[in-house]
Amino acid sequence: MSELEQKKTDLRSVSQTWFSKKLNVAGIYGIVALFILLGIFLQLLGVINNFMTTSNMLNIVDAVSMLGIVALGLAFVTYSGHFADLSIPTTMALTGIVAVQMLQFGFFAAIVSAFIVGTIIGLINAFAIGKLKVNPVIWTLALNYMTLGVIRVIWANKQIYPDMIASSERAVELFDNIYRLRFFNKIAFPMIMLIVLFFLFHFVMSKSKFGIQLKITGAAKKSAEYSGINVERVIGAAFVISALTATLGGLTITSLSRVGAWYNGAGYDFKAVTAIVIGGMTLAGGRGSIIGVLGGVLVIGLMNNLMTLLGVGTFSQDMIRGIIFIIVVGINAKTLRTMGRDDA
Amino acid sequence: MSERDVDKPAFEMRQVSKVYPGTIAVDKVDFDVFPGEVHALIGENGAGKTTLMSIISGSFDDYTGDIFINGNKVSLRSPAQAKKNGIEMIYQDLSLALPISVAENVLVGRLPRKGIFIDKEKMVSETFDNLSKVGLEHIDPMIPIEDISQHEAQLVEIAKAMGNNPSILVMDEPTSALSQEEVERLFDIIDSLRKMGLAIVYISHHLPEIFKIADRVTVLRDGHRIDTKKINDVTQEELVQMMVGKSVTEFYRHDIFSGEKVRLKVEKLTRYGFFHDVSFHACEGEILGIGGLSGAGRSELARVLVALDKRDKGRIVLDGKEIKSRNMAQALDEGFAYLSENRKTEGLATRLSIRDNILSALVPRLSKNGVYDKEKGDPVLMKLIEELSIYPPDPNREVSNLSGGNQQKVLMAKWIAVEPKVLILDEPTRGVDIGAKVIIHNAIEALAKEGRTIILISSDLPELVSLSHRVMIMRQGHFIKEMQKAECTEESVLLAANGEGV
Repeated sequence: MSELEQKKTDLRSVSQTWFSKKLNVAGIYGIVALFILLGIFLQLLGVINNFMTTSNMLNIVDAVSMLGIVALGLAFVTYSGHFADLSIPTTMALTGIVAVQMLQFGFFAAIVSAFIVGTIIGLINAFAIGKLKVNPVIWTLALNYMTLGVIRVIWANKQIYPDMIASSERAVELFDNIYRLRFFNKIAFPMIMLIVLFFLFHFVMSKSKFGIQLKITGAAKKSAEYSGINVERVIGAAFVISALTATLGGLTITSLSRVGAWYNGAGYDFKAVTAIVIGGMTLAGGRGSIIGVLGGVLVIGLMNNLMTLLGVGTFSQDMIRGIIFIIVVGINAKTLRTMGRDDA
Repeated sequence: MSERDVDKPAFEMRQVSKVYPGTIAVDKVDFDVFPGEVHALIGENGAGKTTLMSIISGSFDDYTGDIFINGNKVSLRSPAQAKKNGIEMIYQDLSLALPISVAENVLVGRLPRKGIFIDKEKMVSETFDNLSKVGLEHIDPMIPIEDISQHEAQLVEIAKAMGNNPSILVMDEPTSALSQEEVERLFDIIDSLRKMGLAIVYISHHLPEIFKIADRVTVLRDGHRIDTKKINDVTQEELVQMMVGKSVTEFYRHDIFSGEKVRLKVEKLTRYGFFHDVSFHACEGEILGIGGLSGAGRSELARVLVALDKRDKGRIVLDGKEIKSRNMAQALDEGFAYLSENRKTEGLATRLSIRDNILSALVPRLSKNGVYDKEKGDPVLMKLIEELSIYPPDPNREVSNLSGGNQQKVLMAKWIAVEPKVLILDEPTRGVDIGAKVIIHNAIEALAKEGRTIILISSDLPELVSLSHRVMIMRQGHFIKEMQKAECTEESVLLAANGEGV
């Protein structure tokens, strides 16, 4: 080739060391470790009791497993560059209510119909946001309220109880067990679901054809389109995944509360987004990992646990979570801007 | 000239340096520009032009060295200080807000008011005054920016800068998105600004432009000032030599094409409103150039060929088989590839690594049963990084950290990787330095030698004329002329593109 082809110093390169890269990945688990140390410290000081016990550790994971399930699915939406799926709360409520209502035809019918409803909501989002390119935040917010309306119209303000509707005792028991089934008397079924979804989704996001195409779409939608990626389908799939995990979350929360009601799932949208953002997934898309999101979920679990052990009230907890969200998003945006990234 | 020599420079920097973590981007550079002078600043990508410009615009508060304006020492440590000292910047990527009116863009930050309301009459008349300085009297100040052409927007950008009565104007690659005739008009404007006594710093890659417009030229390389010359005392070859540090013996080759196996046949292809009844053929191993002004419908034709847009009628036949792709994924499978003209928004995912970018169009082929095989792409990845000398040769490096030339090489590599039968290149070397340009040109010729068909869309006339075996001229959505290699010169292509001599 030509003699012009000479090496020269790349003046724009930002030096990135092996250590700084690892720190990025390990970051969220560093925070996890920090919270655990804080708990141990507080326990040694005698401020709280029972932090460092196996049962409390299991409690922490148990308490966040529902949130984890929802957050892992929502992460696909965030990764695709579409911020968040705000229709999650009523998707959870509606699928739960539908399942309870369908218990009159047995447990199996209840689960299947819940998933059918969840899939339909996911497909509606997929069509509107993938195909029609509607703003995802506004659209899912609107759909959330519309679904709420549907629930209020069909079930009025009634709350429905599995044991009053189900065809058999057996169906009620099975439904109750979605949340209550325990392996070895300790490990709850939602925790198993979380672990299975974690491995599955980690594989899908980082190793599958879909995951790679989702990353390119999230990082640069137009370039993805120009690379022959069917971005409409890829984005749509992300919203369907989010709706399906919301369905799982809805079934679990309804099983826990033993009541199908419109308020099941309220607040899960924001909590899940918080976990995702704390877990290092940027809202602009294309950056982050399922491992990070799980870390974010664990941080929230530890935080809640510590606050509860310290006797902090529920409303104060909400406030603290909000403040942390704002700080994390703020720092994230500032860092990216300082580094000259385009996604700040 | 003698008169100017006694004047003080309007702007002068002495021994200015700027250090990034780990590297010195600009190293003790002296630079000055006099009133009524156009001083060109040239250098390859990564030579320090952008950094130097950012210093002038007040973007850094940690440069070292002294800066003087009209002989007075000043501190340019914030954009506000730069503006206060009469410095205005015109960037390569326009800074105009598309949906709002020309007037509001031009007068942004100093809209005339009547009480608490905008004084619309005054706004229109003031805008008109500013627009007339750049020859845009015919534009209605109230229409939104998105309704005027790219070239007019560029002039509006200048009008906006002029509104602040600057004494120093810095222009960064102002012609990169303009066609030849629009460039001529821009130069007339720059010339009149020079006569008004402005000191103009003109940053460009494009050497012929420098010779047309500049009075003096300064060459930067690797952060150092190599030399400053009066434009009449230097030749193009000498400048290139200074920029790359070595002499360039052979810049463009002239191969005679003799293949005759038709690969692509396009018949009466039409997308209403963009191009009509376009018919042509291209052979195996042929580089078919498509010349024309911007807006002639060349990119739109490319988009239809790769099924990014739907055609209204017409046939596309590849190797004797009619192609009816419904989306780009199918067109890719059939053997078409399209390197789009805008590398930052359409071509690359700058937030991702070199690896992710080069392999992005290959994902389906590297996947089996939905599982992506990361290692399978490595051989082709490493081969292309090596062949196109992408620097740094680290596949995990984020593309946004690369220089413009290396980004363009990554984009080129992405489309070589899919091994297309027909590769459509839309402005493959826009805004890249000479080193990268030569590498990309070599790669294009190598692809043609392998038997691939290249369709080359380019506004860079020397590139189009020297690389193409045959040139089709497109004007206002029609193919108006076909020129064989022998009759192609920069002048004849330009005349034909303007609808003359047909």
